Amino acid sequence: MVPEDQIRRHVTRRALLARGSVGLGAIALSTLLGREERSLASSSVGLPDLPHFAPKARRVIYLLQNGAPSHVDLFDYKPMLERMHGQQIPDSVVGGKRFSTMTGTQTERPCLQAIARLRQHGESGATVSDFLPHTASIVDKLCFIKSMHTTQVNHAPAITYFLTGDERPGRPSMGAWLSYGLGTENEDLPTFVAMTSRDKEASCGQIFYDYYWGSGFLPTVHQGVKFRGSGDPVLYLSDPPGMARSHRRAMLSDLRALNELHLQEMGDPETATRIAQYEMAYRMQASVPELTDLSTETAATLEMYGPDVTTKGSYAYNCLIARRLAERGCRFIQLMHAGWDQHRNLNTQLEIQCRDTDAPSAALVKDLEQRGLLDDTLVIWGGEFGRTPFLQGKISETQSWGRDHHPYAFTIWMAGGGIKPGITYGESDEFGFNVVRDGVTVHDFQATILHLLGIDHERLTYRFQGRRFRLTDVGGRVITPILA
Amino acid sequence: MRAALAVFYFRVLGELPYGLTADIAEALRTPDAQRTSSQRRLLRQHYRRQHWEQWDAWERRRQQLQEQLDGIAKQAVRVMVMDDLPERRPTFVLHRGDYQKPLQEVHAGTPAVLPPLPDGPEPARLRLAKWLISPHNPLTARVIVNRHWQMFFGRGLVETAEDFGSQGQRPSHPELLDWLATRLIESGWDIKQLHRDIVLSSAYRQSASVPAEAGELDPENRWWMRGPRYRLPSWMLRDQALAAAGLLSSRFGGPPVKPYQPDGLWAEATFGKIRYQRDTGEALYRRSLYVFWRRIVGPPMFFDAAKRQTCEVRPTRTNTPLQALTEMNETAMVECARAMAQRCLIEGGKTDEERLRYAFRLVTSRWPRREETEILRRRLEDSRRRFQQQPEEARQLLAVGESSRVELGDPIDHAALTVVCNLLLNLDEVLTRE
Repeated sequence: MVPEDQIRRHVTRRALLARGSVGLGAIALSTLLGREERSLASSSVGLPDLPHFAPKARRVIYLLQNGAPSHVDLFDYKPMLERMHGQQIPDSVVGGKRFSTMTGTQTERPCLQAIARLRQHGESGATVSDFLPHTASIVDKLCFIKSMHTTQVNHAPAITYFLTGDERPGRPSMGAWLSYGLGTENEDLPTFVAMTSRDKEASCGQIFYDYYWGSGFLPTVHQGVKFRGSGDPVLYLSDPPGMARSHRRAMLSDLRALNELHLQEMGDPETATRIAQYEMAYRMQASVPELTDLSTETAATLEMYGPDVTTKGSYAYNCLIARRLAERGCRFIQLMHAGWDQHRNLNTQLEIQCRDTDAPSAALVKDLEQRGLLDDTLVIWGGEFGRTPFLQGKISETQSWGRDHHPYAFTIWMAGGGIKPGITYGESDEFGFNVVRDGVTVHDFQATILHLLGIDHERLTYRFQGRRFRLTDVGGRVITPILA
Repeated sequence: MRAALAVFYFRVLGELPYGLTADIAEALRTPDAQRTSSQRRLLRQHYRRQHWEQWDAWERRRQQLQEQLDGIAKQAVRVMVMDDLPERRPTFVLHRGDYQKPLQEVHAGTPAVLPPLPDGPEPARLRLAKWLISPHNPLTARVIVNRHWQMFFGRGLVETAEDFGSQGQRPSHPELLDWLATRLIESGWDIKQLHRDIVLSSAYRQSASVPAEAGELDPENRWWMRGPRYRLPSWMLRDQALAAAGLLSSRFGGPPVKPYQPDGLWAEATFGKIRYQRDTGEALYRRSLYVFWRRIVGPPMFFDAAKRQTCEVRPTRTNTPLQALTEMNETAMVECARAMAQRCLIEGGKTDEERLRYAFRLVTSRWPRREETEILRRRLEDSRRRFQQQPEEARQLLAVGESSRVELGDPIDHAALTVVCNLLLNLDEVLTRE
């Protein structure tokens, strides 16, 4: 929408309010006004022309596996790597491609077979590592894309690319676009929530930049709210010490009374917005603790998510909170779990990393399904790139086997929300090195997500610095074969 | 100098006959006219060392002073500056932005629609600076004038303050913009004069209340039918609260400060590598301008702030419940309410009514009306009752923040007035500039 349209829309609403300024105090009391009358920037109702068509998904849970899980170890089984284990990967495959500085100068590139065994599972026969038994048990609900590729070879730019459509910081994150375009379904909770966790052994060191859930050039109201792993889940949620809940309520009622007097005096609808804002804050103070109160969960549910589920800030805890957020209408839930960057410790860390994340990821899908939420909740599991089919380091140093970053082919999975279950899309070559069929770019991935939410990715734009920007920049096509 | 000395001592080990080191011998062999400056220094030092009794003591003293000097230099704040390379590096248009595919070479210049850079032997950056402020170039002054107008009115005469180009919006009042810009240039870029022009204008001095006909005629206030009214930026709200509380430090300049912030924010963002060490004392009460900013995790209380990823010159103003939570519950805000209440107890008079009126005036610059005072009185009495029943709560509230509390009378009274001040600091009229 061009700015002129935005203003026109806003003006109409305002003109209406100002005309009826006699009864403004009364109108201010209605929740309608709380929802409708906001400052120009902070529309919680989304854009009037959205969705462009009937959505399949209403919300997204993105389980971003930060650090890049190894596709050839976990999903993309390549017998060739076993046959050629320890032997140089052919130049015809590598083809002068660029790598990170960690292996860029390495001349020996011996093939490295998968660390653990991969087997076929379910009716779909998808291959999954023995390290991921829980994921293996739900493969018929999942759609594997084995032909993802990206242009970025380092973590932060690659993550930024997946989340914002550009490798440089500064553009809105996907959740911010959705908040801007579709608005909120629950005024008492944030529309876009980010949660982070990391592997227990702290084996890898990528940090989480807060622009990963930033709003870029979109109004800041659309930025993701970071739920914290310690203290208040939302900053400044708790009343100060000595301020009892009923006391706060009483104070807010007087604040409101004074603001209403001022609204009558000045007649600025912004004051009505302020009243609504403080009432929403009060309600959020109740709804967030309710959200994080796990006492209503059954023992069976908790057990499904694994032993870490009650540890605040763990991946398992975040997965359960994600389900609770989805139930309450949160639009975009972005989990980021760091610890997959196994350059020199694949054979020691991969299993641990899988153990921490496997059960919670699978539990989330099952839990959503049991509650009838999987149909309109899109769940995505994936890293920012894959890992090299060849070894980083020396084959003789068996204790420090690892793999470097690999952007040329890797695997992600999606489930629910209009995705065809139990299929595999795309294919990499016999080494898992290059895409040979149905390649999916990052912009294709994003276009497909928007499509599932009822959005034409070419039409959700925002004008900034003289041009219209969109999540998919100038690329992206919807991957229709994976749509249910 | 130090490097040369180090070389000297190092080489002493490789002694030649007559106690001469190799480099001294080398320097001596070199004809005087061809000796380098370091060789001359070497010979001078050698001579003094051999023939000057005080040399050793003085040299030791010199070294001490040098170390002291280095220590001072190390403490100095390092500032990055832009400079010209001695030789210009060729710059190319890149094919689709790919740095491996350069196309034609390009040179510094201005867009063709604008006047060219002045010729001259000076570096291009200096010429650009002169071009920018040339009295024949009104563009810079227009941008500056617009930025200041935006500061006072909440919105620029050109709304897209960051973009005066063909993709930006057209000015609502082009003649006014040009007049102000021309006056700015003619006044010798006198910003105070510009501010005077703006604040003395009848547009600025209007009431901000929305007249009944505004909805029809000027709902967006684009034609300045009424005075400006907008929510203050978050960093200014903090300054305002500190000022009302009497806590604000007026000290000018100095290194950044680290005020209150919830525990663990930095540690969480950096996997425990960097921990926030908050300051104490005066540093907590300095203007927001001085607050330390870590780009990956900025100060949490500054909502709607520029994100430090791309250049932003236009303020964003949104309303989310999170902002209300910040203004009500953030440690500094609660401490400000407590200190403001204390100030009212000391300065505001003897009776509840006097103190309430004083508190209201501190944050709104006007006296409350009857009905407003009544609401405040109701709040004070109710809060006092609550604290009388739960004196422990009063004690807890009065313990927020580091600043010391003056013991005056009943802490229950102080706590109850603190609640009132917390309310006042969250009034729409106080959060909003009108």
